[in-house]
Amino acid sequence: MNSSEIDIVVGIPSYNNARTIGHVVSAVDAGLAKYFPDKKAVIVNSDGGSKDGTSEIVKNAVIDRNALLLKHPLSMAHRITTPYHGIPGKGSAIRTIFTNAVDMGADACAIVDSDLRSITPEWIELLLKPVLSGTFDFVAPLYARHKFDGTITNSIVYPMTRALYGKKIRQPIGGEFGFSRRLMEHYLNQDVWGTDVARFGIDIWMTTEAIANGFNICQAFLGAKIHDPKDPGSDLSDMLVQVVGSLFELTERHYDVWKTINSVEEVETFGFKYYVALDHIKVDVSRMLRTFREGLKNLQEIWIEIIGSGDFNELRMQSAAADAEFRFSPELWARIVYDFALAYKKRKLPPQQLIKSLMPLYLGKTASFVMDVDDKSQTEAEAEIEKLCLQFEKTKYHLANGWK
Amino acid sequence: MEGFIDLVMEPIKEVFIKFRLFLPNFLAMLTIVVLGLFLAWITKKILSKVLNVLRFDSWCDKTSITAMMRKGDIWTKPSDVLVSAIFWLFTIVSVMVGFSALNIHAINNLVTQFFLYLPSALSAVLILLIGYMVSGFLSRAALIAAVNGGLSYAKFLANAVRLLLAVLFFAMALEQLNVAPNIVVSAFTIIFGGIVIALAISFGIAGIETAKKIIEGKEAEPGNDKKGDVEHI
Repeated sequence: MNSSEIDIVVGIPSYNNARTIGHVVSAVDAGLAKYFPDKKAVIVNSDGGSKDGTSEIVKNAVIDRNALLLKHPLSMAHRITTPYHGIPGKGSAIRTIFTNAVDMGADACAIVDSDLRSITPEWIELLLKPVLSGTFDFVAPLYARHKFDGTITNSIVYPMTRALYGKKIRQPIGGEFGFSRRLMEHYLNQDVWGTDVARFGIDIWMTTEAIANGFNICQAFLGAKIHDPKDPGSDLSDMLVQVVGSLFELTERHYDVWKTINSVEEVETFGFKYYVALDHIKVDVSRMLRTFREGLKNLQEIWIEIIGSGDFNELRMQSAAADAEFRFSPELWARIVYDFALAYKKRKLPPQQLIKSLMPLYLGKTASFVMDVDDKSQTEAEAEIEKLCLQFEKTKYHLANGWK
Repeated sequence: MEGFIDLVMEPIKEVFIKFRLFLPNFLAMLTIVVLGLFLAWITKKILSKVLNVLRFDSWCDKTSITAMMRKGDIWTKPSDVLVSAIFWLFTIVSVMVGFSALNIHAINNLVTQFFLYLPSALSAVLILLIGYMVSGFLSRAALIAAVNGGLSYAKFLANAVRLLLAVLFFAMALEQLNVAPNIVVSAFTIIFGGIVIALAISFGIAGIETAKKIIEGKEAEPGNDKKGDVEHI
C-alpha cells in the first residue's frame, strides 16, 4: 500500500472491546464502501493492549456486501491495528490515529468509539462528507439521547463552552468526530499529550481547540447513541476531574478568545433529524441528594472559600427542603461553576481536590434536573437545558470580572 | 568593730567590682539585643514592602505554594509567613548572640550548644511544617473522597488520617531533635499501632452496619448500575 494515496482514515480507539468492535468495524467498512467507493481508506484501530482478542476481531470482521446492496469499491479499506504509547487513555489512542492519518497524507479522518452498538454506515458519511467537501475542519456529533443521559455535558460542558466561545455545539464531548488534515496537524503540534487531555479530557480539548482557533465547525445528526455500559469501576469523580479539569484548563488558555465573545450563534447541522424512543432510565435521586447533603455538612469550609458564604447559605436553605421539593436554580448553578473555574485559575486548592469537591454539588444539580424533567418530554427537557445555557451566558460577566 | 565592718564591706566591694566588670558585658548584651530587635523589625518592614512590590503572593499563587499552604490549613498570606519567620529568626539569634556577650561560662556553653543544635532544630521545624501540610492535604483528600463515596463518617475518617500523620511527623521531629530517640521510636510504634488497632476494633464494633452496606452496595453495583444510574458523559 502506498500511503501517499490514502484519502480517508477512520480511527477506532479501543481497550477490551471484543464484544462490540466487530460491529463497529463492519459499520465503518460498509460506510466507506457505500459512501466513498472511489476513495482510498484505512481503518486504524489504536489499541491500549486489549487482552480479550479485540485486535483479532478487527482484522477478521466481515460485511456481507450483497446484503447491504453495496457497489464494490475500487479498493477495500485496509485495516491496521496498532498499540499506542504514552499515558493509558483515549487521548493517547487518538494521538496515534492522528499521527498515522497525517503520515499517510489523509485529507479527512473520522473517529468512532469502539463500544458503540448503534453505529450505522451513515455515521461515516455524516462525519466525513463535510470535511471532504473542503468546507469544514471539524464535525461534532449530535445524538438523540435520553433526557437523563450526558449530565456532565448538559449541566457543565455544553452550557459553559457555548457561553464562553459562542458556538452551539450540543455534544462537545460526544466521542465521534470528523477532522480535516490541517486540524489534525494543529492538534499534533500542541504540547498537551502528557496531561488529562490524554485521557477523558481529549474530547473537550479537541472541540475547544477547534473553536478557539477559528477552524470551520459543523455538527452532524447521527441518531441514537447506544453503547456498552461503562466499566462500573470507572469512578465518576475521576471522570469529572478529567473532563472539567480540561475545560477549566482550556478556559485559562483561551482567555483572550472568550473575553471578547458576547453572542452565541448556531452551528451548521447536517443529517436528517428524527426522534428515537429510548428506554426509560430509573434514577436513584435520593442517593444523589444524600451525597449532596454529606458535602454540605462536611465540605463547608472548602465550599465557602470557593463560592462564598452567600451562595453557600442559599444551598443550605435549599437542602433543608424535602427530597421531592429540592431544586437547584440555574442562576445558582451557573455562578457555582464559574466560581469553581475561578478557584481553579487562582489555585485555591490542588486541581484534583477542587474538582472532586464539586461532585456533591454536581449530583445535587443532577438530582434537581432529573426531578424537574421527570414527567416532561424530551423536547421539554431540552428546553430546560436551553434555559440553563441562557443563564450561563447571562452570568458570564461573573467569570470575566473575577478573572481580571 | 572595724574588722566587722571590713568583713561586711568586703563582699559588697567584691560584688561591686564584679558588677563593674560585668556592666560593660551587660550593656553590650543589651545593645546587641536592642540592635538585633531593631534590625529584625527593620528587616520585617523592608522585606514586607519588597515582597509586596515583587508581588510575592501572586508568585506563590502561580507556583502553587499558596495552594500547598492551604492544603495544610495555613490561611495566612505567604509573604506574612515568610516575614514572620525571618523576624523570629533574627530575634532569637540576636538574643543568643547578646547572651554570649555576657561572657559567662555557663551561658557561653548554652549559646554554643544552641548554635550547634540550630540545624537539628531547623530540620525538626521543617519536618513539622511539611508534616502539617502533608497531613492537611491527605486528610482533605480523605474527606472529599469519603463524602463523594457517600460515607456518613467522612469527617471522622479525615480526622483519623490527620491524627495518624500528626503522630508520625511529631515522632520524626522528636527523633531529629535527638530527644530520647529509642523511647520516641518505641512510643511511636506503640501509639501508632494502638491507634490502628483501636480504629480497626471501633470500626468492627460500631461499623458493622456500614461495612454491611458497603459490601452489599458493591455486590449490588454490577446489576443495578445500568438501571439505577444516568450516563454522566
